[in-house]
Amino acid sequence: MAISKEEVKRVAMLARLDIDEKELESMAGHFNSIIEHFNRLQVLDLEGINPFVTEDTEGTPLREDIVREWGKRDIALKEAPDAEGDFFRVPRIMGEEN
Amino acid sequence: MDLYHLTAARMVQGIKEKKFSALEVLDSCLSRAHSLENHLNAVITFSEEKARENARKVDKAIADGEDPGLLAGVPVLVKDNMCTDGVRTTCASRILGEWKPPYNATVVDLLRGQGATVTGKTNMDEFAMGSSSEHSAFGACHNPWDYDRVTGGSSGGSAASVAAGYVPLSLGSDTGGSVRQPAGFCGIYGLKPTYGLVSRYGLIAFASSLDQIGPFARTMEDIALGMNVITVPDKRDSTCSRRERPDYTEALRTENLKGKKVGVVREFQDYKLDPDIQSAVERTLKILEGEGAEIVEVSLPVTMDSGLGAYYILAPAEASSNLARYDGVRYGYSAPSDDLLSLYFKTRKEGFGTEVKRRILTGTYVLSSGYYDAYYLTAQKVRQVITKEFNNAFAEVDSIVMPTSPSPAFRIGELLSDPIQMYMMDVFTLPVNLAGLPGLSINAGFSSKGLPLGVQLVGPKWKETDLISQGSILEKTFGPARIAEGGAKQ
Repeated sequence: MAISKEEVKRVAMLARLDIDEKELESMAGHFNSIIEHFNRLQVLDLEGINPFVTEDTEGTPLREDIVREWGKRDIALKEAPDAEGDFFRVPRIMGEEN
Repeated sequence: MDLYHLTAARMVQGIKEKKFSALEVLDSCLSRAHSLENHLNAVITFSEEKARENARKVDKAIADGEDPGLLAGVPVLVKDNMCTDGVRTTCASRILGEWKPPYNATVVDLLRGQGATVTGKTNMDEFAMGSSSEHSAFGACHNPWDYDRVTGGSSGGSAASVAAGYVPLSLGSDTGGSVRQPAGFCGIYGLKPTYGLVSRYGLIAFASSLDQIGPFARTMEDIALGMNVITVPDKRDSTCSRRERPDYTEALRTENLKGKKVGVVREFQDYKLDPDIQSAVERTLKILEGEGAEIVEVSLPVTMDSGLGAYYILAPAEASSNLARYDGVRYGYSAPSDDLLSLYFKTRKEGFGTEVKRRILTGTYVLSSGYYDAYYLTAQKVRQVITKEFNNAFAEVDSIVMPTSPSPAFRIGELLSDPIQMYMMDVFTLPVNLAGLPGLSINAGFSSKGLPLGVQLVGPKWKETDLISQGSILEKTFGPARIAEGGAKQ
C-alpha cells in the first residue's frame, strides 16, 4: 500500500512537525521504501508470541518513598528559552485557528 | 615520542611513577587534537580550562601521595549526547542551541571520579541517528585514515578522536551499531556492553530499550580499563543492572581458547560482502581456531532477514516518543511564535535535521492508530524471535563472529541520497541491540586501499569478559590499533 502525501501530512501533524511540499514528497518516497522492509515481518509466523515478555530476573528496583530535593531548579530555569519566576513561559495556548 | 601516542594504561603508569605530569599529557593530547581538527571536525566543544584544572588536581594528588584513580590524568572525550554539567551539550542538533546541562551523566562522573580529564564533546549524527556522522548540524566528521571518507556513526567523533590520537579513550553510545561500526571504519576497538550494564543516566535518549554507552580505545587493555570504570551500577537508571561486575582486565590474561566454540552464521554465506571484509572475517576465524577454538555453524534466519525491518520500526518509535520533549519550552532553541502550537511546529521544523525528522515521522506512523498492531506490535514479536534465535545459538557456541559492516568506510556524501542504503550498513550490528547482547568490533587490519577493517564478536548477555579475552588474543596477531598519521586520499 503506497503512502500518500496526505498520510505523511497526517503523521507530521501528530508529531508536531511542519513539513513543506518538497519534504513531503521525499518523506512519502522514503516511507514507501522502508515499508518494503516492514512488510517482510508480515510473512513470519508469530502465533502465540508475547511481545512484552522479558528475561529480566532482577525486577524493578524500588527506592524509599522519601522526598529528595534536586536543588538545581534555578539552573534549569536559567537555561530555559523563556522563564519567569519558577515557571517556564510559553506563548498563549489558543491561536487564531483554535 | 610524544605523550599522545601512549595508551591510557601507560599514561596512568607514567603519571603515577612521576615520569611525566597529567598536565604534560593533556597538553600533548590537546596539541595533537588542534593540529588535525581542521581536517577531522571530530570535536564540537573543547573544555580545555576545566580539563587543565582537573589535570592540575591529579598532579597535586600524586604529589601528596594520594591515588587519583584508575584513569589518573588520562584525557578522554565523550560523545555530545552525554550531559556534562555546565558544558554545552548539543547532540549535534540545532534544537538544543547553547543549552548547558545542570548535571553530569553518570559515566562522566565515573570517569572524573577515577582521575580522567574530560577534554570535550565529540561530533556525531544528530540525536545518534545515523551511520556516518554526516547528519550533524556542525558539519560532517572525517575519517583520519582518509579525509574524504566517513568515520561511520553515529559516534564518529569519539571514534575518529581515538584513531587520530587526540585521546587514548573515548565514550560513544550504541543503539544499532553506533560504537561498533565507527570503530570498524576508524580501525580501533569499540565495545557495546550488554543492555543494562552501563548507566544511561545523563545519556540523552534516542531509543531507551536499545541505547547503551561503550568505550573506544586502541588496545584491548584500554577497553578493559574503560569498562572497569564505566560499568558501576547506578540507582538513578532503573534499567541498569545491579549484578556484580567482574574485573574486566582479568580477561586479558587468557592464554588460549581451548574448549571454546565460535559460531559463524549460515545465513551470511550468501551476503555480498566487500572482499577485504570477507578476508578479514576468515582470517579472524583462522586465528581463533589456531588458538584452540572450534568453529561451529549457527543459524539466525529471522535475524538476518527481518532484523533491519524490526529495528526501523522499534527505534524510530521510541525516538518519536523521546524527542517529543524538544518543543522550545524547556531548553535550547525556541522559534518566536504567537501561540503554543506554532511554537512546537516551528521550533521542531527549524531545529531538527532531515534524518531526525524522517525517523520521528516513521516512529509516529508505526505507533499511530490503525498501524500499531501491524507494525509496532509485530516488530516487538519479531524482537522476541530474534532474541530466541541468538539464545539458541549461544546454547551451541560461546561467541559469534561476523562482519562489523558489509564494507569499509564509504565516501562522504556517497549514501546521503539513499537513506535505506545507509541503514543497510548496520545490518550486522542492529540485531545485537535488539537482543540486548554485548558486541565488540576489533581492528582486523587494512583493506587493499588502506582502509581499516572491522570484525565483530558477539556474546551472550553479561559475557563481555569472553569478548575481551578473544579480542586480546586476536590483538596478538592483528596488533593494537595504530594512530592515523594523516588522511592520504584513497
